[in-house]
Amino acid sequence: MDQIVRYFFDFPLMADYWPDILRGFLITVEMSVLTVVVGIPLGLLIAIIRLYGIKPLNALIIFYIDFFRSIPQLVLIVLAYFALPYFGLVLDPFTATVCALAVVLSAFAEEIFWAGINAVHKGQWEAGRSTGLSFTQTLAYIILPQVVRISIPPLTNRAIGISKGTTLGSVVAVPELLNVTSSIQSNVANPTALTVGALLFLALFLPFVRFTRWLEQAYAHPRS
Amino acid sequence: MAAQNNIGMDGGDLVVIHGLHKSYGTVEVLHGINLTVKKGEAVVIVGSSGSGKSTCLRCINRLEEPTSGRIIVGGDEITGKNVDLNALRRRIGMVFQSINLYPHKTALGNVTLALRKVVGLSKAEASEKALKYLELVGLGHKADSYPAQLSGGQQQRVGIARAMALEPQVMLFDEPTSALDPELVGEVLNVMVRTKDMGMTMIVVTHEMQFAREVADRVVFMEKGTILAQGTPEEILVSPQNPRIREFVTRTKS
Repeated sequence: MDQIVRYFFDFPLMADYWPDILRGFLITVEMSVLTVVVGIPLGLLIAIIRLYGIKPLNALIIFYIDFFRSIPQLVLIVLAYFALPYFGLVLDPFTATVCALAVVLSAFAEEIFWAGINAVHKGQWEAGRSTGLSFTQTLAYIILPQVVRISIPPLTNRAIGISKGTTLGSVVAVPELLNVTSSIQSNVANPTALTVGALLFLALFLPFVRFTRWLEQAYAHPRS
Repeated sequence: MAAQNNIGMDGGDLVVIHGLHKSYGTVEVLHGINLTVKKGEAVVIVGSSGSGKSTCLRCINRLEEPTSGRIIVGGDEITGKNVDLNALRRRIGMVFQSINLYPHKTALGNVTLALRKVVGLSKAEASEKALKYLELVGLGHKADSYPAQLSGGQQQRVGIARAMALEPQVMLFDEPTSALDPELVGEVLNVMVRTKDMGMTMIVVTHEMQFAREVADRVVFMEKGTILAQGTPEEILVSPQNPRIREFVTRTKS
């Protein structure tokens, strides 16, 4: 028992490292938020474009979705950082990681929104259009509010899953939480740093999960 | 707004369907329908399932795209090229078998949406008008209820209020009571009678033969994508000449 405390909960040992840990934590928060804030709206946008049914564009969209859902995030981050410069696009490690994760999240989010759109009864479209609302108005006022509601739980799962991929940024040397804490661990030869990291990840993602539950409530309406 | 070129408006014809064909792939389901509905007239379309009644009705506001033929509503050809379909649809109210209320909006919200976004009324004006029509269908006190909190009959009455609030020139009813429990059918039919008494032009697809007999100015009998006969309720539903219609009437008598 003593040993466990000494190895994993030796917080005084961390004293010198708090600023580094905090910086790493903030970078992780920033990357997670950016990934979600870019990835989910991008997914929604792609789903809406797909809805307009422009054939060549839809073929492109389907390729995009299938490609980015299939490719491992780690591979994508490495490619974004090391391969894009050969095409004249140099991204710093932070941006490369966020871009890669946001693109992956957008592909998954698109599929979730698309499934949601298809789950709304076609009579909803007909009701809207029959009153003279345009396609876009019907989409905005009638379809999407229902889609967003049913999409929140699966989106939360995906968003969390992919945001946790920010830890993969360590491979391209982003000084995010895992990177920082595992360096500290090797420096002081004590894994307490990882305990701290784990607690901070919880501190980040638990409120996020709570927030999406609240969002679900906010969009709720009585159902039979 | 499409041009007021007054095609086929002679004699107070409000809806003119001319040579309407509709195919799904290679299967033709409407074989050249001709039908004229006068202003203020209540026309009830009856016939077996699959006879094309609903498809015909849904072509009138182009929820179904006619394969060929012309449909003129209030002097404007809805099947014309480059028509402002949204502006024309506003003048054609529709009530659905599946009701299709917006589940995320209250009864009031269901009625005000198009009043605000299509007609362009202010929030207060839209609410006032919506309440007036909810009261017309006897549901003023349910304005703040969500569809899931209403019975099927109440939902359909909100559906009627939603369409009527736009003050259309014609109302289309696509089997409005078919999805309802038998005990809830009456309240919806009563509202439809009230709608007719207000002078609304109505085209109704229904299996309610009693409603057809009592309310229709004219009954149209459809069979296999054509109009087999039309006439007064008496001619079509009480003493039909056509043996097929006689068979239908006998079978639907309860």
